[in-house]
Amino acid sequence: MIFYQTTHDKTDSNIDLAGFNQTFLCFGRSKIQVRTNLGLLSLLFPSLSSRPYLSLLRLAKPFPLICKRSMASDGAEDHRLRRIASSIRVIPDFPKPGILFQDITTLLLDPEAFRDTIDMFVERYRDKEISVVAGIEARGFIFGPPIALAIGAKFVPMRKPKKLPGEVISEEYSLEYGTDKMEMHVGAVQEGDRALVIDDLIATGGTLAAAMRLLGGFSSTDRVGAEVVECACVIELPELKGRDKLGGRPLFVLVKAV
Amino acid sequence: MAVREGKEQDPRIPRIASSIRVVPDFPKKGIMFQDITTLLLDPKAFKDTVDLFVERYTGRDISVVAGVEARGFIFGPPIALAIGAKFVPLRKPKKLPGEVISENYVLEYGTDCLEMHVGAVQPGERALVVDDLVATGGTLCAAISLLERAGAEVVECACVIELPELKGRERLNGKNLYILMESH
Repeated sequence: MIFYQTTHDKTDSNIDLAGFNQTFLCFGRSKIQVRTNLGLLSLLFPSLSSRPYLSLLRLAKPFPLICKRSMASDGAEDHRLRRIASSIRVIPDFPKPGILFQDITTLLLDPEAFRDTIDMFVERYRDKEISVVAGIEARGFIFGPPIALAIGAKFVPMRKPKKLPGEVISEEYSLEYGTDKMEMHVGAVQEGDRALVIDDLIATGGTLAAAMRLLGGFSSTDRVGAEVVECACVIELPELKGRDKLGGRPLFVLVKAV
Repeated sequence: MAVREGKEQDPRIPRIASSIRVVPDFPKKGIMFQDITTLLLDPKAFKDTVDLFVERYTGRDISVVAGVEARGFIFGPPIALAIGAKFVPLRKPKKLPGEVISENYVLEYGTDCLEMHVGAVQPGERALVVDDLVATGGTLCAAISLLERAGAEVVECACVIELPELKGRERLNGKNLYILMESH
């Protein structure tokens, strides 16, 4: 079980999430924090997530976990976020050793959690006059369309190269090793469109930043572009600081994996 | 875009049909590509498309909607959400992070492979397969195999568009195919 910080608007408060049976904490990189009811213990490891170490964590005595959480005071919303967070599965060493992969396919197997996920985004955006929801291939295609349909917006797929059949504009972005390209159809967005960018997860922010440049017209010689109102993801890996790569545009997420 | 002849046509279908763009010579010369991205730019047409499927499948005890990567990911989840079913992505190799079962299928040149997570589907579940378009039926056939190997009953395959001349309908292991329109 992954321990999540859930994040929403406004006030900070500490809440006691007693009831989590496992003390298994996952990170993207080198630091693992084990929070105990005696206080905070930080353990630093150069490379994360060796299986034996993680097994050790699972054997550790269960204890209530204290987390910092921005919350709305609504108990029903807490319930939804907990269900969403606990439905996400973590797969160690995928796609390569050391990575703890946040697998949202298990969220999709829980109709109530999936419904709640969409509802939370729709509630946030329905009155913001959003005319475009852009979803990043492929997992952004799962969350984007239901949101678009509910708020009456167009859905625009942002795709890997050579998938879109018509005339495209493209934007290169960095990977850990090398680069990749993202494409959008010419004419999908117009001047005056207000856009959201959706993906399942934000890590380094490179993909979202590329999508924003495409939508905003920065890749096009015609410079016709939409206004990107916000980026929205189910999960954030805050330690990778993707939030800082979004050109000052806001980011909204439901859960953080720390 | 032709609509089904001799069949009573839902009044929403002409708008959906006219919202689909045909792009010639993609991905290669001679192919007339049915581009559904323009349908997605028309919120009413997109909503009507989903509604047509939801109306058909509500109340039929379908617990799984399986969508084929990637355009099946656009149509499948809204249907799943509306009918209260799970959504199961069927993906190209090496994309799904957990334990998978794989099914190979034949392309015009060479073969490809579709994967599904172990445990996504339980024996006895009633499933729908969704994709944007059915051509030769190879992909849908692989999808049906994956679901049946997991013990599910595939109730129907559902696509927006069929290319009937490619006879995909005959390759579905006897499963029924429901479509909104044909393209000749």
